[in-house]
Amino acid sequence: MHERSIMKDILMQVDQLRENTNDIVTEIRVEVGPLAGVEPMLLVTAFEQLAGEVMSQAKFIVEEVPLTARCENCDFGFEVANYDFRCRVCGGNVIVTSGDELLITSVTLNDVAPVES
Amino acid sequence: MKNTIQTMVVRRDVSAPMKADASKERHRQGRRGTLVVNLLSSPGAGKTTLLEATAQYMRGKQQMAVLVGDLETDRDAQRLSSLAPTVQLTTGGACHLDGSLVQRGLSALSDPQVDFLFIENVGNLVCPASHDLGEHLRVVLISTTEGDDKPGKYPKAFRTSQALVVTKTDLLPHVPFSVNAITEDALRIQPDLTVLEASFLRGEGVQSWCEYLNKQRTQLLAEYA
Repeated sequence: MHERSIMKDILMQVDQLRENTNDIVTEIRVEVGPLAGVEPMLLVTAFEQLAGEVMSQAKFIVEEVPLTARCENCDFGFEVANYDFRCRVCGGNVIVTSGDELLITSVTLNDVAPVES
Repeated sequence: MKNTIQTMVVRRDVSAPMKADASKERHRQGRRGTLVVNLLSSPGAGKTTLLEATAQYMRGKQQMAVLVGDLETDRDAQRLSSLAPTVQLTTGGACHLDGSLVQRGLSALSDPQVDFLFIENVGNLVCPASHDLGEHLRVVLISTTEGDDKPGKYPKAFRTSQALVVTKTDLLPHVPFSVNAITEDALRIQPDLTVLEASFLRGEGVQSWCEYLNKQRTQLLAEYA
């Protein structure tokens, strides 16, 4: 439901990277995890609907990353399964190290040759 | 000749601006001695009733103000406004409150300096979990009529909260709800969660809830002193 407004946000941030040039965006890569609160397929659909002229040539790639955590007590790092956030080794609480964010990972620009008059 | 391709590695959190604004607000309120509490729950779990009971308990002792969010109507604000300074925020169609609406609400309240600012979020366990409103404390409510298997279904809401209040405990004799079961399910997701029980309608558990709030206020605001 929010994927549209999130996509608008992403496109705005990507557009800022063009820095007022005529560069064409050829690829946008984002990274999303299970706790990001975003559904990858809906994000792709939103992109297709919102890309518009500037981004119409761009590939939009969503990389799904796992939910990982590190124990605050014993430093053990692991992939979280079934949203069980207790440390596998000591049962302590953990800090999430990946999977709870939506990141713009990279943007590829193609600067267009100027039109000769 | 141009036509070069350049890949910029960005690794930027899309919600970084929102989080920065929320942090700023959290800091600002903390420095003023106001604990901001964000209440999350499904519709009808008892957020407004909790606030009515809290306001009645705090009357004459402590100051509180309320921002209440709904898609439509000011029904909740009507219930609360005689008990505490309250502003209704209507989202129109949005299923969660956001920072800009909260700021509007604070202006409408003339930026009150109170011990507690409660934000009653829109009834929804999904979207509010992803929106930082600048709160110091996030509390999720589950009523005994909703089933004790909810934490696993809404992991983000429980992972990002500091307390779970089980409400409508007066109905326990009539429903297949186990406080132990929901506690176990919730603590798996967020081991640091404090679990409280209450029947705010009957006035049970109000004191424990308010004592918890005060303890959190002391603890969480210490860093802003």
